[in-house]
Amino acid sequence: MSNPVLRMVDIRKSFPGVDALKGVTFEAFAGEATALIGANGAGKSTLMNVLGGVIVADAGHIQIGDEPVTIRSPADASRHGVAFVHQELAIMPTLSILDNMLISAFPGRNGFIDYGKGEKLCRDALSKLGYTFNLRTQVRDLSPGDQQIVEIARTLLGNSRILIFDEPTSSLTSREKERLFEIIRIMKSHASAIIYITHLLDEVFTMCERAVIMRNGAKVAESMIGDLTRNDIVEKMIGSQEVVNYFRHHERKPGEVLLTVENLEREGFLENVNFSLRMGEVVGLWGLLGSGRTELFRALMGLDPINRGRIRLHKGGNIVEMNPTNARKVMGLLTEDRRTDGLLLPMPIRNNMSLANLRNLLSRLWPFVARAREEQVTREYVKKLNIKSTSIEQRVATLSGGNQQKVVVGRWLQTKPLIFLLDEPTRGLDVEAKAELHAIVGDLADSGAAVLIVSSDLDEIISLCDRFLVMVRGRIVKEFPGDATKHELLATASGIAVAAEGVE
Amino acid sequence: MVAKRRLNPGTFLLSYGFIITLVAMIVLFSALRHEFFSVKNAIFILHAAAPTMILATGVAFVLMTGKIDISIGSIAYLSAGVGVMLITRAHMQLIPAVLIIFAVGAVLGAINGFTVVVLRVNPLITTLGTLFTFRGLALQITNSSTISIPGLGNFASIRAGPIFIDIFIAAIVLAIYQLIHTRSVFGRHVMAIGNGSDIAQKLGVPVDRTSFLTFVLSGLMASIGGVLTMSQVGSISPSLGSGYEFTAIALLVIGGVSLFGGEGTIVPGIVLGALTLTIIQSGLNFIGASPFVYPLVRGGIIFIAMYADSLKNAVARRVRLIPE
Repeated sequence: MSNPVLRMVDIRKSFPGVDALKGVTFEAFAGEATALIGANGAGKSTLMNVLGGVIVADAGHIQIGDEPVTIRSPADASRHGVAFVHQELAIMPTLSILDNMLISAFPGRNGFIDYGKGEKLCRDALSKLGYTFNLRTQVRDLSPGDQQIVEIARTLLGNSRILIFDEPTSSLTSREKERLFEIIRIMKSHASAIIYITHLLDEVFTMCERAVIMRNGAKVAESMIGDLTRNDIVEKMIGSQEVVNYFRHHERKPGEVLLTVENLEREGFLENVNFSLRMGEVVGLWGLLGSGRTELFRALMGLDPINRGRIRLHKGGNIVEMNPTNARKVMGLLTEDRRTDGLLLPMPIRNNMSLANLRNLLSRLWPFVARAREEQVTREYVKKLNIKSTSIEQRVATLSGGNQQKVVVGRWLQTKPLIFLLDEPTRGLDVEAKAELHAIVGDLADSGAAVLIVSSDLDEIISLCDRFLVMVRGRIVKEFPGDATKHELLATASGIAVAAEGVE
Repeated sequence: MVAKRRLNPGTFLLSYGFIITLVAMIVLFSALRHEFFSVKNAIFILHAAAPTMILATGVAFVLMTGKIDISIGSIAYLSAGVGVMLITRAHMQLIPAVLIIFAVGAVLGAINGFTVVVLRVNPLITTLGTLFTFRGLALQITNSSTISIPGLGNFASIRAGPIFIDIFIAAIVLAIYQLIHTRSVFGRHVMAIGNGSDIAQKLGVPVDRTSFLTFVLSGLMASIGGVLTMSQVGSISPSLGSGYEFTAIALLVIGGVSLFGGEGTIVPGIVLGALTLTIIQSGLNFIGASPFVYPLVRGGIIFIAMYADSLKNAVARRVRLIPE
């Protein structure tokens, strides 16, 4: 076996509260694609961000070719021939293809650009990938797939030896995906080392020679792809660690159907989504990053327009068609990122909690909020949810993550919604806060509400839910009962069982 | 393989709306008053537009990075004020005094740039502050008085054939800026920053240095515009440059420079914008409309331009999100 082009040795990185990388050693070889596989939060992105200079590791060293290198910034990385094709493309929509490709290093002298030379460079780079664009076209006029081509072609200009692709197919159509795979083949033939981050196992088997599997910030397996089966990979991604002692729910008896969703579609994000929710049940929505979970929540809530489909609420024998206005009245949404989307951080608990319910807190005489009632209701929910704070006037920014999350829950509880949509409700919380939130979820269901949860924590979702819906690429591909295994969920989401059933 | 931009009536109007309006206005005013459509009037329109065109050109790069500079009117006044004091009190010659005016303009711009880039103060707040302080300083040193400078007054009446010298100066400034904008690394960096400074930073664009320079250039151009205005009138008055910032920004937006950054051209954008505003003014003048109507009409045009700008942005964003 030839020597690796890249060696990352014993890389460590901790963030407050988490050891994101616990001493990972990683190698990549010229002319080969290495798949970097792992569940959400396994540390793949952190590892690659270290290589790309986006974050600096606490310990460990990197060797490229035969030389040890120090990478402390994206500029360092590109100097050493590392190029990163991010999931979020780094393109400038109003600039031409030419400018987008050349931006990091314009050819020319005295500050003026030699576009003749630049055009030739770009044309050569694109032709290596088999493309001819009109280089003067603004990039915003290209399809997402073509924009990605421009970004990949840019890396060719810099003579990159190591190319990192982070979930490159998430915004592509299937035709564009085929083209991307072809390009990766071409790049391999030019002796580049490819690192391919993905959750989609099909792509791993088509594209990659080697696989490195990570779990919880550590490398758990490394092997040639031919020596692995899909099941091996899924096993290793899950691991055999004992289930953390999570809150285990008692049997619940779901009541009547509360919400039905039929043929919901939002072009490019959701496709033919069908499911129903019953009173008093907790349903887990499982899927990989970018599979459309958050988009589904937003569509249900009426935050994004939908192209097709019906969302109907069954209420006391009546069927009500949902629209953005009445959705707000019966649903409560806990957003994925509470700090930016869920809370007014500089404001006190009181304002944050009463926000969705102000209409009911108005004074009888005046169109103003009745302060006394607002305070009384806030205190009630602070007590109910056991929010630890000095007073209801404490600024939310100064609360711990768990208490912040409870403030958001309290806000929606006040409106007495029938349906709760919880998007990553325990992300970033400590064990105790998690347990408390799990208990709250249980209480919600017991009180008759329907709860739909998105979580990237497989253990959490398994222990919490009565039923599971699995999403892949904007569709709900399978439903599992409460006794589903982690293996079943992960395998379905990664496209294995789906392929076996020929659904795609 | 190359995506063609679909040309539907909406995007067509958004792209060419102001050219159509401009032509329509010329036709309208010419029909009402035959004298309007003459070479002589065209030259006077350009003459009147020259100073603001230069100010607008200066602030264009600031807008293209997605920032704003509303202190340019005050920079024009303060830098001119310093020059006038040097001429009247220190009996300095005209040429060195003018050069010092330009230097002062650049330094004042650098103060804005420093505050925005190094101290990280919001550009609108920064230049709102300097709008007042620079003008205040200028009122102090000139004693809030109108001072005439005879030598400078003669300058503005220099013509080559029928064309005034300030039209030439504006043309030269535009040409240089056009070259910088389309051909230089700096110009492309300006546009890259306007597309998103985080992405630009990641791609190795010197974001801070470039932004700082745009403010310096904005100050420099403001001082040139100030000198031209002063030479047209032959004197400095306390109202010099007052309101220029808004005329300049309105002119840019009309010419297609987006307040969101990353969008717009020097030629033809700024020229079209300047012509639109000046032709309205001149046309209204010709048909004998009350001068009090100008602000109303101008306000309407600016509003429409701003609305078109945000509309264009909404359209562009929608186009970007949907896969083919």
